[in-house]
Amino acid sequence: MRKTAPLTKIVMVFLVSLWAMLLDSAAALALLTAALVALFALSKAPAASYKALGSLGIFAAGLTAMQFALGAEAEFSAVVGLRMAMMTGLFILLMATTRIQDLTAALVRQLRVPYEYAFMVTASLRFVPDLLAEVKAVQEAQACRGYSNRGSVARRLRNYLTIVQPLVLRSVTRSETMAMSLELRGFGANRAGGYGTSIAFGYRDYLALAALAAGTAMIVAMRFYR
Amino acid sequence: MLEIDNVSYCYKAGQYAVHGVSLTVADGEFVAIAGRNGSGKTTLTRLVMGLLRPTAGTILLDGRATAGTATAAIARQVGYVFQNPDRQIFRDSVAEEAAYGPEQLGFAAAEIRDAVASALEATGLAAMAAAYPRTLSKGQKQRLAIASALALSPRLLILDEPTSGQDAREKAALMELLTGLNTQGTAILLVTHDMELLARYARRAVVMTAGRVVFDGGVRELFAGDTDVGAWGLREPAAARVARGLRDCGVAPGPLVPEELNGEIAVARRELYA
Repeated sequence: MRKTAPLTKIVMVFLVSLWAMLLDSAAALALLTAALVALFALSKAPAASYKALGSLGIFAAGLTAMQFALGAEAEFSAVVGLRMAMMTGLFILLMATTRIQDLTAALVRQLRVPYEYAFMVTASLRFVPDLLAEVKAVQEAQACRGYSNRGSVARRLRNYLTIVQPLVLRSVTRSETMAMSLELRGFGANRAGGYGTSIAFGYRDYLALAALAAGTAMIVAMRFYR
Repeated sequence: MLEIDNVSYCYKAGQYAVHGVSLTVADGEFVAIAGRNGSGKTTLTRLVMGLLRPTAGTILLDGRATAGTATAAIARQVGYVFQNPDRQIFRDSVAEEAAYGPEQLGFAAAEIRDAVASALEATGLAAMAAAYPRTLSKGQKQRLAIASALALSPRLLILDEPTSGQDAREKAALMELLTGLNTQGTAILLVTHDMELLARYARRAVVMTAGRVVFDGGVRELFAGDTDVGAWGLREPAAARVARGLRDCGVAPGPLVPEELNGEIAVARRELYA
């Protein structure tokens, strides 16, 4: 997956998500999910993404159980859970196997997305781990002053505001600093893409796109002309 | 009051950030922990606060193991001041900010008022009680962070690089504040890279390298010249280096701060012209 061009992976995310939407059999979706897990294993994704995949699995199981508990049929409940897991899992795979600068370059150069918008999307993704680290740091700072997430739900929510407030204030400051820093380093001057980006198509991309097109045609045919 | 007994901690299996550290801090001590980046100083202090749990060993506060004790509960005995005060400041006034801890720990209204008043008094922020905290200078914010910790009346105050990013005047004011608190009985555990501060204010130094304590003793002993502190990533205070350079001119070794160096130079000059 690492050697596959970012655009191929973006197309894969959209088309396989479409498959997941069109398929209404739990068995077929389970097979697709198993294929996704196998792809993960083959792609040598970083350990953190396996953790995310594990959490996703737990969330999907919970969603399935909730649907079933609310009166949906077992097959439908499983389809809802698997669909969600499939679509989110694809996104995790894309992020785990693609460098942010390659993704930006693919959006700008191949999909013709305006540079500012492409940068906004990829920069937001880049800041997710930073934000999580910041949440942890603020939580620890407040814990050293007596913050605790125990007690009633109302108390916990009220207490959590003491984490959110400094986090928002710091995020605003950080955004301002980053905007200034980007401007000072010539943001947007090179709209063709960043240094050392790798977005060129290879034979494996053409093979993957052909397989995706064939799969999509087959699933659309099965869904609408059976 | 604090006993760290053979404590180890691994962020990843087999990679020790802290390895078999034993250390005690008594009431009223002023201890500085030094060492190069990644030597385990901050990890050790986070273990004390219960932000991390030891992989091995025990940490005792007043003889009671802290394992399983929430950080919020430890905060009543041990105050912690982070390098970056912006991570905790969120309220609209200095007084409200300092009141956060006592409120969280369920102090009565009158107790909160008293705790805040004495904390702001001790840190010299009483006149700024109504000020908006985010407009304060870095040094004042750091004082506010100390006031927030003091509001819980801890007996030990841990500070992780509290003077970073401050000018010389703010640094000196902050260190004088810590010295004053120490004189009144609060034990201080200061994590620092600044050897000038360590030499001037601390009475005991602990040096860590690769997760282990390689030196634990008096500050003068550390810079007496018997040990190669450079190998631990430390640099002798300027006064000690100058005194060493002037040894042939009759200046006795031992000064750690400029005032002491001036004194030794004066003695050497008198002897030279006698």
